[in-house]
Amino acid sequence: MLLRQFLMEWKLYSRDRVAMFWTFLFPLLLLLGLGVIFRSRGPALTLVWSMPAQTTAADAEMERALAQTELILLKLPPVEAERRWERGETAAQIEKAGEGYRIRVNSYLTAQGQSAAQIAQQAFLIAQAKHNGMNIDTLPILMESPGHAHASNYATFLLPGLIGLNLLSMGLFSVGMVNVAYREKGKFRRLAVTPLPKWIFLAGQILHRLTVVILQSFVMLLAGWLMFGITNHGSYVALMLVLTLGTGCFMAMGFALSSFAQTTETYGAISNIFFFPMMFLSGVYFTLDAAPRWLQTAVVALPLSPYIKALRGVFNDGAPLGSHLFGLAVVLAWTFAAFGIAVKRFRWS
Amino acid sequence: MSEPVLRVRGLRKQYPKVLAVDHLDLDVAAGEVFGLLGPNGAGKTTTLEIIEGLTAQDAGEIAIFGMDWKRHGKEIRSRIGVQLQSTSLFNKITPREALDLYGSYYPKRRSTKDLLDLVQLNEKADAYHITLSGGQQQRLAVALALINDPELVFLDEPTTGLDPQARRSLWDVIHHMKEEGRTVILTTHYMEEAEALCDRLAIMDRGRILTSGSPMELVRELELPSVVEFTFDGKAPDASDFARKLNQAVESRGDTWEIPTQDPKSLLPCLLEFAEMEKVPYKQVHVRRASLEDVFLHRTGRSLRE
Ligand SMILES: Nc1ncnc2c1ncn2[C@@H]1O[C@H](COP(=O)(O)OP(=O)(O)O)[C@@H](O)[C@H]1O
Ligand SMILES: [Mg+2]
Repeated sequence: MLLRQFLMEWKLYSRDRVAMFWTFLFPLLLLLGLGVIFRSRGPALTLVWSMPAQTTAADAEMERALAQTELILLKLPPVEAERRWERGETAAQIEKAGEGYRIRVNSYLTAQGQSAAQIAQQAFLIAQAKHNGMNIDTLPILMESPGHAHASNYATFLLPGLIGLNLLSMGLFSVGMVNVAYREKGKFRRLAVTPLPKWIFLAGQILHRLTVVILQSFVMLLAGWLMFGITNHGSYVALMLVLTLGTGCFMAMGFALSSFAQTTETYGAISNIFFFPMMFLSGVYFTLDAAPRWLQTAVVALPLSPYIKALRGVFNDGAPLGSHLFGLAVVLAWTFAAFGIAVKRFRWS
Repeated sequence: MSEPVLRVRGLRKQYPKVLAVDHLDLDVAAGEVFGLLGPNGAGKTTTLEIIEGLTAQDAGEIAIFGMDWKRHGKEIRSRIGVQLQSTSLFNKITPREALDLYGSYYPKRRSTKDLLDLVQLNEKADAYHITLSGGQQQRLAVALALINDPELVFLDEPTTGLDPQARRSLWDVIHHMKEEGRTVILTTHYMEEAEALCDRLAIMDRGRILTSGSPMELVRELELPSVVEFTFDGKAPDASDFARKLNQAVESRGDTWEIPTQDPKSLLPCLLEFAEMEKVPYKQVHVRRASLEDVFLHRTGRSLRE
């Protein structure tokens, strides 16, 4: 009976094109899209050189130093440089300020502008050093993850984040929202007048979602490997354990939240209170290291942040589970709390 | 008399704003088609859903096949069939799959094919539920109520929203249930449906049963068994003046005046004469037997469908 219920869930689920899209296709598109955007270092950075016609020896030294960087140096007379600036085409511009220089960064194009400015500053330091008789060319920068995985690119960082986020959205929407919708439309009521034991219905549903999530994670891992050559650095046992824990935690959250809403509208509001902060504050797409301290600390209390950290640790750096005990304990605590609430409050109508 | 299939005593359900069921007693005997007739909001659905074990009552006892819900819930569930007022299935399940699935929940079940034949859904057996018409969805809901070969079937407004032809074919299905010896409890707010289907019925309003009996008995109980109707072109004029002069109750509804009477034979001649004298611009005159509608009107002062 349980098997039949489980198979029926799969059959009906596979007919739901919208659900299929959000479950399998959307995460892949997101991974592909963001991965490609951040894969290379982007277009070459341009720095506008706005200098009066007469140059000093220091200017010449500076220009030489800049030429040794990867920046494309665009030399323009000040008037023209100003016009280019006003057209909004300039991301960063270096110009004379008294004896020294200053760099103007376009506040609308900070991604390019900041990077160009940083490189220019480095060039300046090198020019200074040379001037003082020191002979250095560059300060090399090496990208490396905490687990010494060298070739880390953005897609590698993103993949575990997206998997974690998917577990959360499956739990909140595919479990929680679906249950509220069933209850609202009275789908449970027709079941409640049959002798089908409730636990079989629920177990069938949970087993189904569990297999969906695991399948989904594997599709994404496979895609990450094929598209970006990302591989699992940890043990597969640890990876499976972490994935199962996440599924359990976020599904329990979905069940628990669904017991607080009678209509899908209320549920939408309630679940978004959890979903959006977690999505933006848990280091899915970007790290929070630039955020205020208190926020970084607070976020650890939400389950997604420590979860993704643990997942990245295992998957990207081959860390043993033991090194993320605290984070995993936070997730486990949420799991038990949510499960307790779900069991206590669950209603059929 | 043998033990009734259903016995309800002192049933009460209070919702925050309304007393939906108010000290209600019911007895339904084996093999009968029993109707709960009443306007929207009378408490029919609430009563049925309490009996079906879906809603908890505030007070009152229910015995189904002599058993109670607390101790024999599973056994009762496997012997009753339920069509809810709105049966919501998965959008993309087909009638065949739905019947197979719900059938799998029961120890004893009828074949999917027989039921599809019975409710004439063969052509749509493999179409997604969401693509079925309202009438087809309703027939599927009725077929689902029969999947476990139940002894007692609950049908909550089985024909509401159906066109006349679809309604007739559902009536046939319900007649068939009776022939097979099932006990049927249905609700409706169509009096002609109650008259056509029910062996016995209870008229319900505001959570109470006003009266019960066979349709014939109920009409006979009315002391005014006939109704004279004047039909007008367009809306009927105000009748109060005419009624006062005639010294007789005249009900103005839509394009007709209804004049209930005990003795149409003596009323009719003087009525016609008087109408002539008053120059009442009526088009037609009919005399008909009083119906359940009139019983309801008489009991509550309101019509079944306002
Ligand atoms: N879940 C509910 N909560 C509050 N009031 C309800 C609920 N269900 C029904 N009612 C009220 O109880 C009364 C009886 O409703 P119902 O049993 O559906 O009547 P019927 O089926 O005869 O149309 C109505 O006034 C309705 O508004
Ligand atoms: Mg109703």
